[in-house]
Amino acid sequence: MLRRTARRDRMVGLFAAGTILLNPPILNLVGGTLFGWPALYLYLFGVWGLLIAVIGLISEGSPGQANERDKDSASR
Amino acid sequence: MSQSILVAVAVAYLLLLFAVAWLVERGSGRVSRLTGSSIVYTLSLAVYCSSWTFNGGVGKASQTGLDFLPIYLGPTLAFCLGPIMIRRMLRISHANRITSIADLIGARFGKSGGLAALVTIITVIGLVPYIALQLKSISVGFSALSAGFGPAQPASEPMLTDGALWAAVVLTIFAMLFGSRSISPDEHHPGMVVAVALESLLKLVCLTAIGLFVGYGLFNGFGDLFSQAATIPDIQAVFQEAPANYGYNWIAMTFLAFAAIFCLPRQFQVMVVENTDERHLDRALWLFPLYLLAINLFVLPIAIAGRIMLPVDTDPDNLVLSLPLAAGHPELALIAFLGGLSASASMVVVETTALSLMVCNDVVMPALLRIRSLGLENKPDLTRLLLWVRRLVMVVVMALGYFYMRHDSAPFALVSIGLMSFVAVAQFAPAILGGLFWRGASKAGAFAGITTGFLVWFYTLLIPSFSRSGALGEEFIAHGLFGIELLKPYALFGLEGLDPVTHSTFWTMLANIGAFFFVSLFVRQSPVERARAAMFLGVADPDEEARFWRRTALVPDLMSLTARFLGREKAVAAYASFARTRGVDPATAVQADAETVLFYERLLAGVIGAASARVLVGSIVEEESLGVDEMMRILDETSRVIEANRQLEEKSQALEAATTELKAANARLQVLDRLKDDFVVTVNHELRTPLASIRAFSEILRDNPDLPTDERLDFLRIVVTESERLTRLINQLLDLSKIEATGSMPADKASVDLAAVVRESAASMQQVFAQSRVRLAIKIDADPAFVVGDHDRLVQVVINLLGNAAKFSPPGRGKALLALRRAGEHLELSVTDNGPGIRTEDREVVFERFRQLGDTMSDKPQGAGLGLAISQRIVAQHGGRIWVEGGRDGGAVFKVRLKAAHTKATAAGRVRVPAG
Repeated sequence: MLRRTARRDRMVGLFAAGTILLNPPILNLVGGTLFGWPALYLYLFGVWGLLIAVIGLISEGSPGQANERDKDSASR
Repeated sequence: MSQSILVAVAVAYLLLLFAVAWLVERGSGRVSRLTGSSIVYTLSLAVYCSSWTFNGGVGKASQTGLDFLPIYLGPTLAFCLGPIMIRRMLRISHANRITSIADLIGARFGKSGGLAALVTIITVIGLVPYIALQLKSISVGFSALSAGFGPAQPASEPMLTDGALWAAVVLTIFAMLFGSRSISPDEHHPGMVVAVALESLLKLVCLTAIGLFVGYGLFNGFGDLFSQAATIPDIQAVFQEAPANYGYNWIAMTFLAFAAIFCLPRQFQVMVVENTDERHLDRALWLFPLYLLAINLFVLPIAIAGRIMLPVDTDPDNLVLSLPLAAGHPELALIAFLGGLSASASMVVVETTALSLMVCNDVVMPALLRIRSLGLENKPDLTRLLLWVRRLVMVVVMALGYFYMRHDSAPFALVSIGLMSFVAVAQFAPAILGGLFWRGASKAGAFAGITTGFLVWFYTLLIPSFSRSGALGEEFIAHGLFGIELLKPYALFGLEGLDPVTHSTFWTMLANIGAFFFVSLFVRQSPVERARAAMFLGVADPDEEARFWRRTALVPDLMSLTARFLGREKAVAAYASFARTRGVDPATAVQADAETVLFYERLLAGVIGAASARVLVGSIVEEESLGVDEMMRILDETSRVIEANRQLEEKSQALEAATTELKAANARLQVLDRLKDDFVVTVNHELRTPLASIRAFSEILRDNPDLPTDERLDFLRIVVTESERLTRLINQLLDLSKIEATGSMPADKASVDLAAVVRESAASMQQVFAQSRVRLAIKIDADPAFVVGDHDRLVQVVINLLGNAAKFSPPGRGKALLALRRAGEHLELSVTDNGPGIRTEDREVVFERFRQLGDTMSDKPQGAGLGLAISQRIVAQHGGRIWVEGGRDGGAVFKVRLKAAHTKATAAGRVRVPAG
């Protein structure tokens, strides 16, 4: 129960972070070029990819990890 | 490229889809096993990327830069909320056999047929342009490929040679075959889903191929592409400079896409209705956004390349096709065309299937059932009627799309048509989200919100789209309705400066959410609505529903009713499995209780929608209507039970945690207990050994008065030595118990000069070393070396260590070194000897009590085995560390590290150090 709630809370936090990072006005802070590539292009795809990676970590990895964590805290 | 090859390829491709779908539906072979996989589920979700992504996205990117992206960022954000939002939608829909977005809204707000019909009609009106857009993109692609490239005018072609017409016909047939093949209560279409997944794979591969071709075939990598773009001022202006132009429209599009991912009928169809296993969602949560990212990776490079290489008047929506053609690679253009075709085809098929379900279940069937003169109640088998209604709806929807395209779409870019549909379906988002998470959301509120939102959309987007294309005249847009400036559709109430879609999104959402909230707040919910709300919010179990309506009926009546819509075979099989789970014999049960009635209602709901199912079942059951009070009592009771359950679960978890903690503490205690026992046994042994020898020798002396003097003296010396050993042992034990009992430093906490301690200890041990003929050297590198602590105890430690060194160094050639040096923040004291050393595995245990190395049976113990234990405790109490290392010439090196007192000033005064 606790685990499920924690996972949900993390996802909501991720949603908030993604919404802020991928929208103006934060978006408009990025401009110009980086290594000859448009910086905004790199920024958007970078943040997007990161967001996906974290969703993946939370939604795929968390049940197993959480179990281990439970075990850890039990033995401590 | 010759038109006949093109047609042949397109037809061959569509036939392949037919074959795949057919193989899957037939349910044999490897292909059909695909249906239960999370990958196929994810790929089928990618029906979201229609030809709008494939052609329109590139077109938009070439005009305005990166702002095609919010359409894909929105769904990613929505999937962040997937575990909360989408999962709840899945569970509720499966429990209630909800098969469309209209059904979902209708079912939430008191199984309202009117609301479901309203939603359906809005969806059809809103989505016809979207379907038209797909057909247009096929048509444009077709003519662009067959006529070389350049500005295409599909609408000017005669109808029969228009590729879109034939595409529409073939796709309608596909939808009819696989989207309405038979009637089943769960409305799964595995053939369609696998075909759509295949198409999703294909469009990703195609767009990636074009992207790589552009990057490495036309340019020297993407860096080259971007640097060439930087040299052309107007391209640079779009892509690299002035980033601040992404404002409200970016936010509005993100929001629209966020809503679309669950409000679009085709998304609801593949995401919720076609879902066979809830666990697939876990994988799709990140895999679907990853797909979106992958398919968009090359959109900007392709768009920039198009701007650099193609003439300015090229249709931007055609860049993906025109680029390979212009570069002289018609085969790549063909691949691009296939990608676009599959994007359109999958979207059109799924969308028409979903729409046909909605229109049939929520508009046509309720109407037909109401017309008494048709006598539908008496027809034995209505499954064929249902199927044909659905197929007819598919034809009508496709025809509407086709004619809209021929009439209207020419002046619009793909993206703006698509966005118009997005705004329309976004009108359902407040009702759905409110319905799922806000208990107070009422039917009247949903009605008000959806209706006002839709009307505002109609006024600010749809009508102007007609007048833009000449049907209503420019007058309306320029000066507003009846010439009232405040009513200009693109600048309502004087709101200027936004593009039409953003403008419309703002006003529709304001009207929609406002009406939804205020009406919900001020109109009381009916008891049925409150019950449904509780169920949707997960407060009440879906199966509790049986308790609210005490309905009874005869099983044969229910069976014949269901069989008419589902077919007798499926109805019998479904009831048999239901009866088995409840332990009822399906053959003999006649009286159906409330739960059985509910089962039948849900079974029917899967086929004809919740609202119609309720009306139909209602016509044959006897309903013992519950009073409002009673219903509320049951509802409150249920939520109380669930709440109590939850608390109980939390408590039991807390209890479990406490138990494990207690267990751990108990285990620790047991270990300590065993150690104590060991200790007592050892002490007992250690005390008895000298006592025994003292007693033995004393007895000999007593019983043999005539012993020779030498021998007598020998014995007496032994007695004295053993007594001394006993005294020492008792002293040490007292020391140890004192240290362990207080657990803190002895009272004296002054600043102590370690160098003085070293000198003092060495002096007092001088005699011992002389006796054992071991040479002791002293090396003091830090003088003075202040620490905070107890002078006498520290002397005891050093003496202990020196005593060990003296004991274990070989007599005669023994060498011991006592050194003191500064090590950073610490002072390090070391005692080195050249004795036998200590084995690596023993280096930890020498500090345990009574631990004597070597064989205690044969070697005479050379001490009580308490010295090091005491030293270790003293050092630990001073916050330091003691350990042993191997010496360079085989001996042992004992090292003590203590924290140096910071300054002489603080060290000199008496400093209180926290105990412990």
